[in-house]
Amino acid sequence: MSTTSTTGTTAVARAPEARAASGGNVHAYLLHVAGRLGGAAVSLLAVLVTSFFLFRIIPGDPVKAMTHGMPTSAEQMATLRRQFGLDKPMWQQFTDYCANALTGDFGMSYQFHAPVGDLIAQKVPATLLLTGVAVVIYSAIGLWLGTRSAWRHGSLGDRLNTGMALTLWSVPGFWLGLLLIITFSVGFGPLPGMFPTGGMESGNETGFAYVIDVAHHMVLPVLTLVAVGYAQTLLVMRSSLLDEMGSDYLTTARAKGLRDDVVRRRHAVPNALLPTVTMVFINLGHVAAGSILVETVFSWPGLGGLFYQALSVPDLPLVQGLFVVFAGAMIVMNLLADLLYPLLDPRVGR
Amino acid sequence: MVTTALPQSARQRPRFRLVLATGAAAASLVTAGAVVPEAQAQPQARAAAADNGRQVLTVAVSQSIDSLSPFLAQRLVSTSIHRLAYDYLTNYDPEDGHTVPGLATEWKPSADKLTWTYAIRDDSKWSDGKQATAEDAAWTFNKMMTDPNAATASGSFTANFKKVTAPDPETLVIELKEPQATMTALDVPIVPKHVWEKVGDFSKFNNDKQFPIVGNGPFVVTDFKVDQYVKLAPNKAFWRGAPKFDELVFKYYKDGDAAVAALRKGEVSFVQGLTPAQAEALKSAENIKVNDAPGRRFFALATNPGAQSKDGKKFGNGHKALLDPAVRKALFHAIDRKTIVDKVFQGHAVEGEGYIPPRFESYFWKPDASRKIAYDPAKAAQILGGAGYKKNGNGKRLGKDGKPLDFRILCHATDPNDKAIGKYLQEWWGELGIGLKVECLDNVSDPWLKGDYDLAFDGWSVNPDPDFVLSIHTCAALPATPKDTGATDNFICDKQFDGLYAQQAAEYDPAKRADLVKQMQSRLYDTGYMNVLAYPNAVEAYRTDQIKSITTMPEAAGNIYGQDGYWSWWSAEPAAADDGSDSGSSMGVAIGAGAAVVLAAALGLFVVMRRRSTAEDRE
Amino acid sequence: MTTTPTPPTKQVTPGTGPATGPVRTARSLAWERRRHSMARFWSSYRTHRAGLFGLAALALIALTALTAPLLVGSDVQSVTAAPGTAMEKPSGEFPLGTDQFGRSLLGLLVWGARISLTVGLLAAALSVAIGTLVGIIAGHYGGWFSTVLMRITDWFLVMPTLVLAIVLATVMSRNIWTVVIAIGVTSWPTTARLVRAQTIAVESRPYIERAKALGGGHTHIMNRHVLPNVMPLVLAQTTLGISSAILTEATLAFLGLGDPTVVSWGGMLQDAREAGAVSSGHWSYLAPPGIAIALVALAFTLCGRAIESVLNPKLGVAR
Repeated sequence: MSTTSTTGTTAVARAPEARAASGGNVHAYLLHVAGRLGGAAVSLLAVLVTSFFLFRIIPGDPVKAMTHGMPTSAEQMATLRRQFGLDKPMWQQFTDYCANALTGDFGMSYQFHAPVGDLIAQKVPATLLLTGVAVVIYSAIGLWLGTRSAWRHGSLGDRLNTGMALTLWSVPGFWLGLLLIITFSVGFGPLPGMFPTGGMESGNETGFAYVIDVAHHMVLPVLTLVAVGYAQTLLVMRSSLLDEMGSDYLTTARAKGLRDDVVRRRHAVPNALLPTVTMVFINLGHVAAGSILVETVFSWPGLGGLFYQALSVPDLPLVQGLFVVFAGAMIVMNLLADLLYPLLDPRVGR
Repeated sequence: MVTTALPQSARQRPRFRLVLATGAAAASLVTAGAVVPEAQAQPQARAAAADNGRQVLTVAVSQSIDSLSPFLAQRLVSTSIHRLAYDYLTNYDPEDGHTVPGLATEWKPSADKLTWTYAIRDDSKWSDGKQATAEDAAWTFNKMMTDPNAATASGSFTANFKKVTAPDPETLVIELKEPQATMTALDVPIVPKHVWEKVGDFSKFNNDKQFPIVGNGPFVVTDFKVDQYVKLAPNKAFWRGAPKFDELVFKYYKDGDAAVAALRKGEVSFVQGLTPAQAEALKSAENIKVNDAPGRRFFALATNPGAQSKDGKKFGNGHKALLDPAVRKALFHAIDRKTIVDKVFQGHAVEGEGYIPPRFESYFWKPDASRKIAYDPAKAAQILGGAGYKKNGNGKRLGKDGKPLDFRILCHATDPNDKAIGKYLQEWWGELGIGLKVECLDNVSDPWLKGDYDLAFDGWSVNPDPDFVLSIHTCAALPATPKDTGATDNFICDKQFDGLYAQQAAEYDPAKRADLVKQMQSRLYDTGYMNVLAYPNAVEAYRTDQIKSITTMPEAAGNIYGQDGYWSWWSAEPAAADDGSDSGSSMGVAIGAGAAVVLAAALGLFVVMRRRSTAEDRE
Repeated sequence: MTTTPTPPTKQVTPGTGPATGPVRTARSLAWERRRHSMARFWSSYRTHRAGLFGLAALALIALTALTAPLLVGSDVQSVTAAPGTAMEKPSGEFPLGTDQFGRSLLGLLVWGARISLTVGLLAAALSVAIGTLVGIIAGHYGGWFSTVLMRITDWFLVMPTLVLAIVLATVMSRNIWTVVIAIGVTSWPTTARLVRAQTIAVESRPYIERAKALGGGHTHIMNRHVLPNVMPLVLAQTTLGISSAILTEATLAFLGLGDPTVVSWGGMLQDAREAGAVSSGHWSYLAPPGIAIALVALAFTLCGRAIESVLNPKLGVAR
């Protein structure tokens, strides 16, 4: 359980509960599903409400902030205030917000004069693409290296492996990104700049060339995310596999004369995978929020950059919408992890 | 032994599979990196070269576009694009900034100064083929006067308009409520009536759904992707002549350093807002010219004169000691402007004097030697001592109330210069025994507008017409009540200044008006609520292998980005074709070689790892 | 091999301290016991090489930070008394070159250790303190009260931590306390969950029953029995928390949300970026602060993992 704390996730901490709740049959599983769905719905509601009030504590009048330094007449300010709905009392703003939010409408962005939903929808693909690819790659690498490490725990390879992972995990991601830009984008010594310095596309490609172009732009940001991210998967996989390896059934399996790798592949790894898979989901939940830094360093046109821009105005509807999306992603992924857990757990007979 | 050999070989297999799988994942990344540069190196390095005949000028920008609607856009990047896409009534000469014809060819005020008549040119066409007429201009102004949603961006220009009419397609008549000296400096994009009259709600229309956007400027906006790029094509029928590049792209870089790196590689042709270190490094780079031009900004310290509204109510919590002219004078005496220019701006600035930067020659004013508040820490200490501010045992200067003098200064968290100068002020004023807390915020507007500050870093970009930057220090600009917001910069309200302001606003003779503007600056200097520390230069760089020539403004030693007018991009000439292709191919080779090195290194790593694991197996 | 689910507590279980002298007060008995468990802890910790390496690195860095005034002098931060010119390359006088004000980067790096470590320690302490308090209370009282507390914890758990921290840092004024609070109040839920589980485990033991029967109140049980038993876990959590707090501090400073008037490692990276060190290739400006952050974070992580595995040998963290 403590590897969890090392890596700061709750996946494993939650596991026993999920297991207990899953009971042993379909009926119990359905109950479990209902419970989790209800819980997630409550969490979502809580997020909606907090999002409204949390950002009302940001001091500052958005209208004043936006028009500061611009010749603005009192009538213009009043118009802006009316446009933004800021002329209404707080309770009415809140009820309007709730009513609209439930239909997916988060209002108009102050600074971009466009619906928040549209703005977010525009940016979601970029963030999903970047971080989704990164999570898939680093989960795969983490699983593989974690398995190797656990299987040969204590060996030099294991130590190098864990040492490397821990070191990379300690490195600030934005800094690594900057170093990668210096080395591979600007060019360093005999190395010419091979990768673009930022952005998602060159803007003049279509069709297959466009796909290659985007892939080319993705290399460095993905590399950064993978380097700082794979340690978590590795460590969780390693320690849960070590837990499994102590189990009696493995000894039994070996005693039956099964080959080592069969024991590993058929018995130990699937069981040890559980907490790791759960963690992959949690990581996917972090995807939206976690990209803020890398998006800043690599000028990636995603949600993270949008959030930062929104916060400095403060562009309340946009900040609220993004916050709900970030927290919502976490809730949904946690929910998926909870629902999947009993299905994946071979110890739960169904 | 068979039993040991079996598990060993068996152990090899799954690992090998995994190596393959991860190898494939890694390889796909590496290939993306290795293959693409070769395919891409050419267009990239030859951004401006004559590859399949298209010459593209790419400009790196760091601001994101707030709106493409001229009625909503407020950020510099957006208004710069509107300058290119729409013609304004008048324009400013690139050489010295005097007014030159735009959409209007001639203009004259009536004898009572209240009616202006503009002659509209007959050779300007909208990009959809329709003729641009006075009717379009009249519709644009009338829309701004009648629909508050259309007045968001530049409503202040039309606030004093009484009536705007177009008696015939080539005549525009504007009637004013009061005389207005800025009538030849109406920076309002004129939009095509036949397109815009179909727009319903101006507060929600961003003009970014249909491309190309109908306009009559030197360029036509053809494509836009949020936080990625804006593309413009030349308007071949532009009355002043078509631009020379085949495409103009404003590309978004969130990080200034990334933009500079892109310039080095030739991904972009132009970068602005360079830091001293970047400029220094780029000076020695091949094919790059650094343009260090006198800027149009001033960088000043503002002291809170006791925030107040028009109804006379005081608000805010500005430090009382700053109301004493002696304290302000002492503080300003303790600032070494030369060090600021040398160290913070590293020479890319000019020491501050009057309010309007020297670049605007006709309006520039500076204090004579006797009145100048020069760097003199000893005198500063002496002034403070003389005014009754003594140091206590700990070396802290005490205020009239017996408490140590501790000021706060508002700083923009996003501006490195604010933070840097803040450090110097802390130390210089520390010598005087005065404490300074540098409060850096993302959003300084809030404490500022509430009057909750002692000092603040202040700065404005000055237009060729100085009316606006002067108006923000008049009593009329104060907020109506403490709850409102005014256009005021620093809550200054001075009767003498206001009198001069009213005079210059109605003075249509340029020389007399310039004289009044100088008197106003002199008065502002003497009141001592504002002190200009420096005029930062505009530091920019462009690739000479992509841009052969480009017009700066003013033409002798001027800036390129953010000009008053479209001169730079309109005039830019592409560099000769063969320049680029050479560097392009050598670049491609170099990149290919680099990719090969990476691949080899990756392979080597795999081999090493495999050998290591085999060694482990043997253990 | 131990298979009990709650091993971290065995070295402080009451009654294990051997009474060596004839006359012993309860206090000296307790001391004796603690010394013993410390010694046992250390002899076990010593076997973890990575943990020792982390400890040594930490000792070195802490020593540097403490003696910074002697090593480089507080003048190192002064811009008006800066000895060099702007952005010098490394030389004999300035081993890492200078920053844009002409200050020695090596000096700033040493000085920056003070802020980075302070913020890391305080933030982790705050976070763990909140987590422990919530965890113990939720675990001890149980019932609807615990349910509500844990719902709040869960709710904080799904909040995107960095996003919340950014919001808090934006709202409050720029100083190191803001950063400490922003990190502290957003990162406690993991600790709370772990401590709660531990508390429940401890309270299910018979001697707690005995203490209750003898009339021990809630406060007595929580202070005297639960707290000492969760302390080892809390220690491990703190060590690990510091490492992520230092990283978060650097992140916030890098996003421009730190205190611009003090020198910290994250702030140095932000300064480097603002000065244009990346594109002009000033490696000596950019690399050292990042390495320093990584080194300290790694050292704390290694120590934390070693402590964990000493307390819970089943983990096999460093086996």
